[in-house]
Amino acid sequence: MSFTQQKEDKEIEEALVRDLQAGDLDAYDKIATLYQKKIYALSFNLMRNQMDAQDVTQEVLLTLFRKINTFQGKSAFSSWVYRITLNASYMKLRSKKKEPNVSIDELLPSFNGAGFQQEKIQDWSGSTESLLFTNETREVIKKAVDLLPEKEKVVFLLRDVECLSTEKVSEILDLTVPAVKSRLHRARLFLRKKLSGYFEEYNSQKGEA
Amino acid sequence: MICCKECIDLLYDYFEGSLDQDTTKSLEEHFEDCPPCIAFLNTYKSTTLLCRDTLNQIEIPDEVRHTLQSFLKEHKKEQEKK
Ligand SMILES: [Zn+2]
Repeated sequence: MSFTQQKEDKEIEEALVRDLQAGDLDAYDKIATLYQKKIYALSFNLMRNQMDAQDVTQEVLLTLFRKINTFQGKSAFSSWVYRITLNASYMKLRSKKKEPNVSIDELLPSFNGAGFQQEKIQDWSGSTESLLFTNETREVIKKAVDLLPEKEKVVFLLRDVECLSTEKVSEILDLTVPAVKSRLHRARLFLRKKLSGYFEEYNSQKGEA
Repeated sequence: MICCKECIDLLYDYFEGSLDQDTTKSLEEHFEDCPPCIAFLNTYKSTTLLCRDTLNQIEIPDEVRHTLQSFLKEHKKEQEKK
């Protein structure tokens, strides 16, 4: 997206927000249409459940309407929407019993005393093409992401999946930029390790066949 | 020469292209001598791309879209009455 395009989008959005604050219901429809997919996708990735994601999306849309006058424009409107979405999703998750997360540290790379890699690292990056679109691979990837601890997962979803900038993520989560980077790096290391298990097994089976 | 641990700590910034020239150079020298770290780099990149491709294609299912639509319509009616 070009800079001018981004600027225009921002202006349109700001105008819609002003209209909504003035009580314009059509502006509300437009905002809902603009954001419902983003809200649904993020809450679905956090909860992995259609009904829950639907509930959260409804709730967020309603909150946007009811609380629009508390939005003061200190951060971007979209950051505000993401924050409301995260809060609503976490409330929903907490109301349910959840499985304990695995510790991320156990899955980080290990080194010997001299700082060299200890485990055998297989390069499976060339063999993912044919596997990418199988349902099994997708399930493996989703499960791996579901296992991420909450702090790392949210950074990963906003930055790597929603493709927001590091600065934007730090605004949404009220974290420093280095903290965002470090959580994202840990998330990627964790996921790499999880996916390695799957792809290495696949490659070794293929080798035997 | 940098060790594998430092190499992996730098991967994030290397992948973003935000390392200075000298650090990039010593990292690339390490890669030349260390196939495991190349494999690590490649799979680190792949992981990010695979996860993105899998998770960013979530669409609102039709039945959810309908529910949301009628929810918004109801809401609008209520507000118009006020
Ligand atoms: Zn190395």
